[in-house]
Amino acid sequence: MTSMTSPSFRQLASFTVRSEPGNERLALAQVAEAVAGEGLSPGRLDRLKTAVAEAAMNAIEHGNRNQPEVPVDVEVTAADGDIVVTISDQGGALEEAGPSAEPDLAAKLAGEQPPRGWGLFLIRHMVDAMDVTTEGTRHTVRLVMRAAGRDGAGGPDRGAAEAEEGGPREDHV
Amino acid sequence: MKTTCEADVRMLPGGAVIVLSGEIDGHAADTLTAAYERAVASGDPATVVLDFADVRYINSTGIALIVSVLARARSQRRAVVASGLSDHYREIFDITRLSDFIELFPSLDGAVSRLTEAAG
Repeated sequence: MTSMTSPSFRQLASFTVRSEPGNERLALAQVAEAVAGEGLSPGRLDRLKTAVAEAAMNAIEHGNRNQPEVPVDVEVTAADGDIVVTISDQGGALEEAGPSAEPDLAAKLAGEQPPRGWGLFLIRHMVDAMDVTTEGTRHTVRLVMRAAGRDGAGGPDRGAAEAEEGGPREDHV
Repeated sequence: MKTTCEADVRMLPGGAVIVLSGEIDGHAADTLTAAYERAVASGDPATVVLDFADVRYINSTGIALIVSVLARARSQRRAVVASGLSDHYREIFDITRLSDFIELFPSLDGAVSRLTEAAG
């Protein structure tokens, strides 16, 4: 894990995107530009881009409820071999109906689950670790990718994700 | 930020091919649904090929659209195969288990060869 007190801490980018559908692609493009040269393999860069896009889409749609004037804040940092991307919205924890079931394709094909619901699942499988925090209305997803990790390696640090206050907010993407 | 998805439908012996391009996200719903309906409207194809060689981006909503197409095809006793996926999206098809239900081919030529062999 990284720390802002680490002597190797570097901020690579800090920006906002408007909460409009499709703007997750602006976020992923800017993150990809920010981490260029940080040593991520092409495969791991693709994984990070997918995770960033899904987290940003969730922030836009379910956090900020597509209100363009409410920004999604994105920060990209590097320290001790980790690349960390934080994505924050103003939607709070939004615990609605309890945790939804892990997406199960067979159940979806049988009509027992809706076709959607892959967003958080994809994020968890794309990055080396993720955690979620909520302070008041500010809801932040933190994605960690180790620059030297192997392609195909990784997967979630579920313990870290579940240990955080509030746990991950339900997404419906 | 507007995104685009286009779909070209081709009928072949033994199946139909939907050549997709652009982005497979929420904006692709109407395009993908209309393409599937065109593909099955004539010839009652046993197999529908989804070609992703020119697809630049697939998000979770796009995955859900593909799940919907697969569910619809299975209810009509049609097979769905896919071609042209990048390594990254092949991995996502594996993680989501779509590749358990959709046979993957590296290229459209390979998928079409399988169709024509089956029809021959």
